[in-house]
Amino acid sequence: MSFIRHLCCVLALTSAAPALHAARSEAQVSPRATVALLSATDVAAPGQTLGLGLHFRFQPGWHIYWMNPGDAGQAPRIEVFAPAGSVLGEVSWPAPERHVDGPITTFVHQGEVLLPFTVTLPPAFAGAAALSVKANWLVCKDICIPEEGVFRLELPAGTAQDSPDATLFDAARAAMPTRSEWRATVDAQGVLTLEGTGAGSLQSADFFPADWGRVEHGAAQTLSTAGDAARIALKPGPDFDPAKALEGVLRVRGADGVERALWVATPGESPVRTPVLSLAAADALPPAAPARPVAAPADEGLLWPLLFAFAGGLLLNLMPCVFPVLAIKALSFARMGGDRAAAVRLQSLAYCAGVVASFLLLAALLLALRAAGSQAGWGFQFQSPVFVAAMATLLFGIGLNLSGVFDIGARLASAGESLASRGGLAGSFFTGVLAVVVATPCTAPFMGGAIAAALGAPAPVTVGIFVALGLGMALPYLLFAFFPAAAAHMPRPGAWMDRLKQALAFPMYGAAAWLVWVLSQQSGADGVLHVLAALLLVALAAWLFGVAQRGAARPLGWHSAAALVLLAGLLALGRTPEPVAPAAVAQQAESAYSAQRLADLRAAGRPVFVNMTAAWCVTCLMNEKVALSTDVVQRAFADRGVVYLKGDWTRADPDITRFLQSHGRDGVPLYVYYAPGREGVVLPQILTPQIVLDHIAS
Amino acid sequence: MTIKAMLCSGLLASTLLAAAVHAAPRIGEPAPAFTAVDSNGRNVKLSDFAGRTVVMEWTNHGCPYVQKWYRGGMQTLQKDATGKGAVWLTVLSSAPGTQGHVDGPTANRMMKEQGAVPTHYLLDYEGKVGRAYAAQVTPHMYVIAPDGRLAYMGGIDSIASPDVNDIPKAEPLARLAIDAVLAGKPVAKAQTRPYGCSVKYAN
Repeated sequence: MSFIRHLCCVLALTSAAPALHAARSEAQVSPRATVALLSATDVAAPGQTLGLGLHFRFQPGWHIYWMNPGDAGQAPRIEVFAPAGSVLGEVSWPAPERHVDGPITTFVHQGEVLLPFTVTLPPAFAGAAALSVKANWLVCKDICIPEEGVFRLELPAGTAQDSPDATLFDAARAAMPTRSEWRATVDAQGVLTLEGTGAGSLQSADFFPADWGRVEHGAAQTLSTAGDAARIALKPGPDFDPAKALEGVLRVRGADGVERALWVATPGESPVRTPVLSLAAADALPPAAPARPVAAPADEGLLWPLLFAFAGGLLLNLMPCVFPVLAIKALSFARMGGDRAAAVRLQSLAYCAGVVASFLLLAALLLALRAAGSQAGWGFQFQSPVFVAAMATLLFGIGLNLSGVFDIGARLASAGESLASRGGLAGSFFTGVLAVVVATPCTAPFMGGAIAAALGAPAPVTVGIFVALGLGMALPYLLFAFFPAAAAHMPRPGAWMDRLKQALAFPMYGAAAWLVWVLSQQSGADGVLHVLAALLLVALAAWLFGVAQRGAARPLGWHSAAALVLLAGLLALGRTPEPVAPAAVAQQAESAYSAQRLADLRAAGRPVFVNMTAAWCVTCLMNEKVALSTDVVQRAFADRGVVYLKGDWTRADPDITRFLQSHGRDGVPLYVYYAPGREGVVLPQILTPQIVLDHIAS
Repeated sequence: MTIKAMLCSGLLASTLLAAAVHAAPRIGEPAPAFTAVDSNGRNVKLSDFAGRTVVMEWTNHGCPYVQKWYRGGMQTLQKDATGKGAVWLTVLSSAPGTQGHVDGPTANRMMKEQGAVPTHYLLDYEGKVGRAYAAQVTPHMYVIAPDGRLAYMGGIDSIASPDVNDIPKAEPLARLAIDAVLAGKPVAKAQTRPYGCSVKYAN
């Protein structure tokens, strides 16, 4: 079918997306740590040993664990996806710090740490090097959170040169433990002896065993010196064996007062350690990766998001936001009657083109925003008060048109006019555009996942998914194009159509009223004043136009006046105040979502119900009305001690955006229930009281 | 009390505490005796179970490693062990205000929701039992033989990770120890590396 061809065409055109060249991956940010993959070099040469490193910056108190975590915790694990034939080095561990928490001693890294490792490219390697790292790490403060991330670097071919991060690698190398020059031995009682110049003058020593069980991590260590020797009495652990090598980092302070970190190893067999690093082929990167190395061909993995997008687009037609616009479209088809098959086909194709073009524009806008580092999602444009005000005004204007205050061109003036005219086609196209614009506040089922998939996917897939959404939404009208005979069953044009047209003005006024309310949530009373002024001026302009159209003596004068008033209305719109601070907006503070509050409540063992919503999200408001706010649900929450947390995404909120993304979503609504000690369970996007009750009872 | 006396008693107390901390129980020696209150308010003594195999499991429902095992078969392990006559004691040493701290009724409700079937759920808020056994992590596992001697202490399995998919790949250290003790055989690996979150002791 031509539309499949169209879709393939779009995919092919956009698959030549520019590659990302950077010596630093995108950072993964959590309330605990900011993590990124860095490279010490800017470019990749054949056979070159690349200095890479996972860089962590922690919020105060949070830490990760050293190669031997100590009594609790776990060292990070790093999986490297490199070109075939690459050789992986080992992680160079910086000296850890001792973290004592009552009877539990752990060895940690806090503040900021770089875990460097090397990847040596094969000698025959040519071209740009795409490197990805999948890592997971346990980050702890009072509680522990397992985190994971996928990081991607692309180094262009060229002669090796330092990246801006090279100084970080130099500093890390300078601070690395150095191999001790002293002769190290350990006796059966666990006394570690170091002999050599300077060992006898050590002021302090702290030994961090590299392996679990060799010595008790938390036991006191006593230093004594004699001659050129230092003796550190350690407490043997369950795996202690003086015949095997005892290895670890020794933090010492010498006679000069300078602190150093040394790598100490006694003679004997080295222990076998679980590797922290592992290597995989570059093309084995997990499918859920936020950034994929190359655009995937249209395989099965791509088919499902496209199908869901298509179904979601189709269902959008039934959502309350879109309905008023569709009513207009239905009316125009009815006008055409049954005997103009060619005209009907052209009209419906124009409408579909409008829908698909709008989705393409949305996709382009989203991609641009994401490239610029902004966190955008479905319906994000409704977070702008100016946009909301403009939409309210537009819908109000359409309402006035339907009420007959003024006419647009000649098309609606008489039903018998030629509908195949240019103006008619353009009208159909823009009806399609309008349908998409007003559809955005409604997330139809299936769509959340498809859009999230779109945003996490390479650019061509994103575009493909948006096109599928558009085709789905346009499908009913597309059918008119392919089966023009269906139009024959439409009722005959007549006087009833004028009445229907006038009646359809009221859904438009209703939609405008709703948007004014949304604006009141965003910009407060001042915002409402601006939009009402704009509506007043638009109404005046519409009346002036109407007068001119109904044969006033000097139409040019009336037209000019109308244009001036309209301009004033638009100026009022453009000055709609920016979002007010959340504190100024009426919101129950005790139930407002924050990542910290959720973590605290879960840590305290409380069941938590999270509702992510927005004032402009009709689906959200419906769910609150029919399910969440009902007595039966509220009583069940109270009986079970469920804490109800509400996140308001009416204005942009990075905390909420992150929560949505962590659940594979890019828009509201999102409902998650956390039973005590359990992972969150995501509820459907359309709620009934029973669905909520079932979830909190399980 | 003079300042000097206070300092002295403080020093003495911390020395005693340190001694208690490092007097870790040893494999093959009598397991430390204890008395604790369970989630139903009953007093439970180790000596109540003389002649039986006792399994002890340190818990904290907020800990990702505990969550891993309650998604991955802790309940089955409990059923299998108690079904063969062992006593299973789940011990909570989270101090008030720390992660995982729950009262008796909440503990009972959570056990019911999770299908957990320990013989008792001990509320060790002061950490007395935990410190006596030198329990460091959740889940830290101990097995006491019918003769009252400690037969196993360490990890629940061999792969330290919060990923439930690692359970089938790991050596089931705790299960092997429990089965050996129940069969009257020696435990091959009697002391292993425990892994998990730190026990949230009172300071």
